[in-house]
Amino acid sequence: MKLLRQTLLLLRKDLLLELRRHESLMTMFFFGALLLFVFNFSFDLTPARVSELAPGLLWLAFLFTGTLGLTQLFEGERGNHCLDALLMSPIDRGALFLAKTCFNIVLMGLVELVVMPLFWILFSLPSWQPLPALFLIVFLGNVGFCVLGTILAAVTLKARARELLLPLVLFPLMVPVILSTIRCMEALLRSGELGDALPWLRLLIGFDVIFLTVGILIFDWVVDV
Amino acid sequence: MPQVTGKKRKGILGAATLVFIIAGLYWGLIKAPPDAYQGDSQRIMYLHIPSILTAYLSFFLVFLGSCLYLWKREKRDDNLAHAAAEIGVLFTALTIIEGSIWGRPTWGVWWTWDARLTLTAILLLIFIGYLMLRALVEDESRAASSAAILGIIGFLDIPLIHMSVYWWRTLHQPPSILRPDKVPWENIHPELLTALAINFVAFVLLYFYLLSHRLRLSEMREEIKARRMN
Amino acid sequence: MTMAMWGYVILAYGIVWGAILLYAVALKRRYRAAEHELQRLSDAKEFQEHAKA
Repeated sequence: MKLLRQTLLLLRKDLLLELRRHESLMTMFFFGALLLFVFNFSFDLTPARVSELAPGLLWLAFLFTGTLGLTQLFEGERGNHCLDALLMSPIDRGALFLAKTCFNIVLMGLVELVVMPLFWILFSLPSWQPLPALFLIVFLGNVGFCVLGTILAAVTLKARARELLLPLVLFPLMVPVILSTIRCMEALLRSGELGDALPWLRLLIGFDVIFLTVGILIFDWVVDV
Repeated sequence: MPQVTGKKRKGILGAATLVFIIAGLYWGLIKAPPDAYQGDSQRIMYLHIPSILTAYLSFFLVFLGSCLYLWKREKRDDNLAHAAAEIGVLFTALTIIEGSIWGRPTWGVWWTWDARLTLTAILLLIFIGYLMLRALVEDESRAASSAAILGIIGFLDIPLIHMSVYWWRTLHQPPSILRPDKVPWENIHPELLTALAINFVAFVLLYFYLLSHRLRLSEMREEIKARRMN
Repeated sequence: MTMAMWGYVILAYGIVWGAILLYAVALKRRYRAAEHELQRLSDAKEFQEHAKA
């Protein structure tokens, strides 16, 4: 599929650049870990309470690190009219969207792979068993976040006060993702399985699918901006 | 193309609006009896329910304007979206204030994270984000396109936000609390329904009256801009 | 108890219609300013055309 091939091409470019310069990834890692430290001083995280608060705290950390990643999403294309060059090339805009989204998903995923076990260590959570399933849920949440985030990052590219505007427009729209992921994570931490939280998982997947599709279709107009 | 902003139409609309507003005030505050459960504070519902509906109507118009603008790139559609958003912020903010004031004698608190108030607050945030985006993007046509994208995404997200917030609250909320959507409509006194209907019409008319004037303002500003270019 | 209730009702109605009125007044003001500007521009244009003739 042409779309897929172009996506992979663009994705590879971004990943290679990131691998060499580590700009986004390092700041995101550091910021995520820093937030965990702040949590320790802001909340009374006794072993009894920490399991309850874990999903919310983790999501706070991911929302902020994710936003950090988003604001830097098009940094690579800033200089030398790279973005214009990309837009003038025969590449499908949908591919550009998918590539940028996947790139941010990868970045966030890597950060989460480190921050979640770190959280477990720092706050002495009882069991490491739910972690893989938790990570899967968080990943699905990532997708939702990065899909909307990429569209809005592109749309706010030339706006003033961009670092403030992006979260301001993004976070209210993220409510379904935040609620679903946290409900699912709570269920997993409580009983090790989803059970009652299954409708939430369906909502989350629905959200991802809907906005992934919308993103691919609408991105033509987004970067025409 | 029928002129929405024709002076005569606006005059008739304005008169009709005024009539219904006055009728609504009379029916709501004087004629309709106080509610059996909530007493006189129920009268705030005559404002609250029409307000919510105009807020959602606003958002729909923002969506419509946004889609049309992206499709046809006519400034008129962008004006519609912008005007609808501006008036939408007003009515949404009022909805929240009304809900809060109603809540005080009913639940004893000025705010609660119940589904309706929470949803309206999120709607307000989305509207505000939309207007801020418009204000902060430099180039005008870019601002219009960016806002259109946000308007479309926001609208599509609303049903999902609805679902998630309602599920969240229905699983946690104790069933004894009286909520506006739990009012037993079948037993409602006909006078109350009449008051509600009149106020509802009043609000819709008022909305379109304000919208038509706001649109006219946009048109005039465009003409100013065009004349300055010459 | 009923008096306190009416207090809330009046507060709500007051805020709502007050805010709507304020918005309408503000809108009118912007309207007038735009009309004024349009008039000024069309006067200036007339003057220009007169001067050319």
